[in-house]
Amino acid sequence: MWQRLFSMVRKEFTQLFRDWPILFILVWAFSGAIYVAGHAVKMDVSDYPVVLYDLSKDDASRELASHIRAPYFKIVGYAQSDAEVVEYLDRGKASLAIIIPPDFQRQVAVNLGRFQVISDGTISRGSILATSYVARITAEYNLELLEQRLGSVTKAMSQVPQVDARIRIRYNPNVNNAWFSSMLEMLNLITMVSMLLSASAMVREKVYGTLEQMMVTPLRPMELFIAKIIPTVVVVPLFSTLALFGIVQGVFDTPIRGSLLLFYCVMAVYVFSVSSLGLLVAVFARNIAQAAMILFLIMFPMLFLSGAMTPPESMAPWMKYTSLLSPMRYFIDFGYQVLFKGNGIQYVWHDIVGIFVLGTVMFSLSVWRFRKVIR
Amino acid sequence: MFNRVIAIIRKETRELLRDPVYLGLAFVVPMVLMLLFGYGLSMDVKHLPIAFVDHDRSTFSRDYIDGFVNSEYFDFIGVLENNAQAEKGIKSGHTRVIIDIPPDFGRQLSSNHPVAVGVTIDGSFATRAEVIRAYVIAIHALFNERLLSDFLMRRGTAQGPMMPVQMDMTVWYNPSLESINFIVPGMLVLILMLYPALLGALLVVREKEAGTIFNFYASPVFRWEILLGKAFPYIVVAFLDYLMIYAMSIWLFNVRFIGDFWVLSSAALLYSICSIGIGLLISVLTKTQLAAMLITFLSTMTPAFNYSGFITPVSSMDATGQFIAHLIPATYFMDIVRGTYLKGLGFDYFWPSLLALGIYTMVLYGLSWLFLKKRIG
Repeated sequence: MWQRLFSMVRKEFTQLFRDWPILFILVWAFSGAIYVAGHAVKMDVSDYPVVLYDLSKDDASRELASHIRAPYFKIVGYAQSDAEVVEYLDRGKASLAIIIPPDFQRQVAVNLGRFQVISDGTISRGSILATSYVARITAEYNLELLEQRLGSVTKAMSQVPQVDARIRIRYNPNVNNAWFSSMLEMLNLITMVSMLLSASAMVREKVYGTLEQMMVTPLRPMELFIAKIIPTVVVVPLFSTLALFGIVQGVFDTPIRGSLLLFYCVMAVYVFSVSSLGLLVAVFARNIAQAAMILFLIMFPMLFLSGAMTPPESMAPWMKYTSLLSPMRYFIDFGYQVLFKGNGIQYVWHDIVGIFVLGTVMFSLSVWRFRKVIR
Repeated sequence: MFNRVIAIIRKETRELLRDPVYLGLAFVVPMVLMLLFGYGLSMDVKHLPIAFVDHDRSTFSRDYIDGFVNSEYFDFIGVLENNAQAEKGIKSGHTRVIIDIPPDFGRQLSSNHPVAVGVTIDGSFATRAEVIRAYVIAIHALFNERLLSDFLMRRGTAQGPMMPVQMDMTVWYNPSLESINFIVPGMLVLILMLYPALLGALLVVREKEAGTIFNFYASPVFRWEILLGKAFPYIVVAFLDYLMIYAMSIWLFNVRFIGDFWVLSSAALLYSICSIGIGLLISVLTKTQLAAMLITFLSTMTPAFNYSGFITPVSSMDATGQFIAHLIPATYFMDIVRGTYLKGLGFDYFWPSLLALGIYTMVLYGLSWLFLKKRIG
């Protein structure tokens, strides 16, 4: 058995390494693509584009405007008329408009200061966050004004009952999204590439008719499947190393806190697991185009049930339970816990069990289906 | 000359119709994706598990905790005994937020002094952490405002409005801030990017791998006739996909649509041609279907998701980000889709975006034409 397996694996490796365009694409995927994804956005609301229409132009309005600043906001323009404000919002040049009516200073003095905020609701999440930041800015500004009135600032500060939230964000103090998204892209790519590589390795044999040839050799289906998976299990972790140390840590300075040994061991099991899924698709598909469609159909739900887009705790119950069937859900949780939080095996053992069980099920399922099909 | 194009179109159409699984999937996949995203992908971050370490246990601290318990955003896990438990909760992810209330919390507040609480947020998922921070800040602002107005009332200085400045908030385009109005049109843009590109990407390279491309080499057809003939049936498929998604968005998801259907449709047609063109170009340049698929995934999915303005407005990106955004067609179509669906803008607003899409499409097909060799080697 070992000899048969060995020669088959060698054949698969030779085939893979001769396909230098694929290798080249994979290098780009695990470096450039991850860089592009990580570079994209810092936060949902950072440098949020604001247009300011100040009809007062007095000290109070200038003071208020000076609070609208980085890192959350960026003033992209000063409007001179209502029409201009509308223009900014319609064209999407600004997503928030702040309109300070005339006579602001005098109104503020008698506690009647009002200003208008128009928020572009098309991106609802960003809009909600941005308005909450404006609300906070308003509260701070109010507090400053009150303190000025109540006497000296430092003295007044110690005489007002206020709860000051000292917010500390663990693991990512500056909410640097690149840390998150570059790692996510890497974990996504590990999934996608593993499925695609193994599926296409199988479908290719079908399309060229070389599968029949292989079936008349003493090679057993189980061996054939393992041989199709092994190159992926070797190659994908190698490329992930490039991604992890070259881009995720190298370019974005993402701290890697956990045990790399644990990560690589489980990644190998995971790659085996999703490759089995790829093979399962390949057993059903008649050509690469069909396989691509089916993979697409599987990959998207997996991506969005992975917990990275909607956190598991915010998912609807049906989603939460469906997500338990996706190996990616365990892998994403595992990856962030180990690499990012530095957690040990006592925190992630259930993820490992999940990956292992699903992998075994999918591998057996594809071998079983395959046996039925070739008979 | 049009005979030849029509012949190729007929050949491609027949090929497509003879693979009903593939053709079926061409409609089923976008439909399933829309159902999943429309019903499932709420970007709302809610039910976040929160726990407290209450060293004070006074009426003040309980009052403060109630502010979080009563919020729909947080799920109250409990009051923990000590910081070790809190540490474990954050590490394992059982709680996303821990608020540490100091022993003198109530005493300080009742004697009119400020007091600090420690808020620890699990930052492993950056966007979630950002949203949690915003919620915490908002709940704090409410609590503080109440403290302050009580305080001013007691001092008797308060008459009329307490606060010097008030903010009046209006939301335009999506007044109820429903995330479905944001996700579904956005998904239309993404699906119409990835999917036709994938369909197109296999078009030429499939024949290369199967060897049937030699039939074209040996025939009198011109290169542009091959491209046009091959693309046409798939453009029809992509456009039908658009119509299906549009219908779902209106009748199934009740997305607000106040624009002009014809403006959106003509833009969608152009965009479909464009994304098929991306696929075609990849197809012409690659030698294997696997390579074509990988390149398509990489060059459409991540950029369109991150840079098209789907989640963050393009104008908030830095110079590099805006540059990338303007390099991808999804940005222009996103502009048109959001503009018609939610803003109700007309053609006069969109002609720059349409023009950009048009130029983009011409360049894509031009390059495909250039690189499609009718020779071996």
